[in-house]
Amino acid sequence: MRHLFQVGIGSGGMPVLDALVQDRRIGHVTLVEPDVYQQHNVERHLFPLSAVGQLKAEVAREWLMDRRPELEVTIVVADLMDPARRAQIEAAVAVADVGVCAADTEAAKYHFDALMRRHGKPWTLGEVLSGGIGGFVHWFRPGGPCYGCVASHLKRSIEEEKHASPDYSQPNGAVTESRIPASKAAIMAIAGLHAAVTQLMLEDVADFNPGFTSLLLTLRQVPDLFREAFRPHRMTINRSPDCLICRKPEREIAAEDLDVALTEALERLAHE
Amino acid sequence: MGLLDTEQGKRRLLTVEVPVIERYNEGRDPEFRIRLVPMGSVLLLRYKLKPAHNPYELETRLLAGYPMVPPETRVLTPLKHCPHLLEGQTLCMWRQGSTRAASRWDPGQFTAVFAVQAAWRWLACYEIWHETGEWPLPEAK
Repeated sequence: MRHLFQVGIGSGGMPVLDALVQDRRIGHVTLVEPDVYQQHNVERHLFPLSAVGQLKAEVAREWLMDRRPELEVTIVVADLMDPARRAQIEAAVAVADVGVCAADTEAAKYHFDALMRRHGKPWTLGEVLSGGIGGFVHWFRPGGPCYGCVASHLKRSIEEEKHASPDYSQPNGAVTESRIPASKAAIMAIAGLHAAVTQLMLEDVADFNPGFTSLLLTLRQVPDLFREAFRPHRMTINRSPDCLICRKPEREIAAEDLDVALTEALERLAHE
Repeated sequence: MGLLDTEQGKRRLLTVEVPVIERYNEGRDPEFRIRLVPMGSVLLLRYKLKPAHNPYELETRLLAGYPMVPPETRVLTPLKHCPHLLEGQTLCMWRQGSTRAASRWDPGQFTAVFAVQAAWRWLACYEIWHETGEWPLPEAK
């Protein structure tokens, strides 16, 4: 039985999870999600209005148990990058077979990528473009291009602006949209592709190769960007030998030597 | 990711940033070398640049989220108010979504020394602007 490690069960992540757990090869799911289900989520989410105010991870567990009572579900109510939960998250990844990333910040995607590379696990990533004009599904394997290689190739923007933290004391309060929201239909379309690619990966985890590393599906025609709606673009993005995220360092440093080496380096460069 | 307090951050510093900073410093006049100052979860690079006639003291901040969060550079030497200058004399150097590679921070391709070089380019533009009233590089698009 396969163990799925998924980060993000928002409007994009939950339909991926819902589709994947119907696959009887999956026997264990670990979910990482810190957020509370809020009023403004209802429009695009699978969860019902009655779940507003509850933790998304808890609602997802109930959802899964209603459909697959025998499924083992582990939830981690935390941000993926929370240092206090690092050991728990590392341990879950170590025993997982496949990762599913439905995180919506660049920092979380890089963090997820590092986790998966550290543990030698394959993973998939789904991304709905702002406004629902299309979306990407990427897949990654150990030794292949990392998220940094893909982001550089796609000239991906990283986020500079600091988003306001959700106000958990007012789960029904208004939240300002930071991007143009995608429609639920657009989210479901990309989530369906994400689930389909992940499901194919589950069939042959070691030798999975669908003939692309990134799949872009346009959902709208956009001047100067997408000539046609509903056009798939299959891309093969290679590992970049110069990528600062995944290239092999000139010298290896053992984990236990890092602190000493860093202290020495900072000391050396403090007096330049 | 915490640059100074996670294994991932420490590895980035030791295997990427420190070697390029040491190469930058090699053979350079001591007053123009980069010095590193840890401050809580932030790592400061302090240095001096002289793109033309005037020397400038600068500080580049590598925040806890670096390199996913782009470095911030500010000029400590007082400047005249000019284009591309943000609050606190922070330089406007990265425009995310730009179609020009050098105007878009790329954590997989750039190091802190790239930010220092970008600051040098910004200051060279500033000196020309100071003389002519025109910023010599086009806006990032």
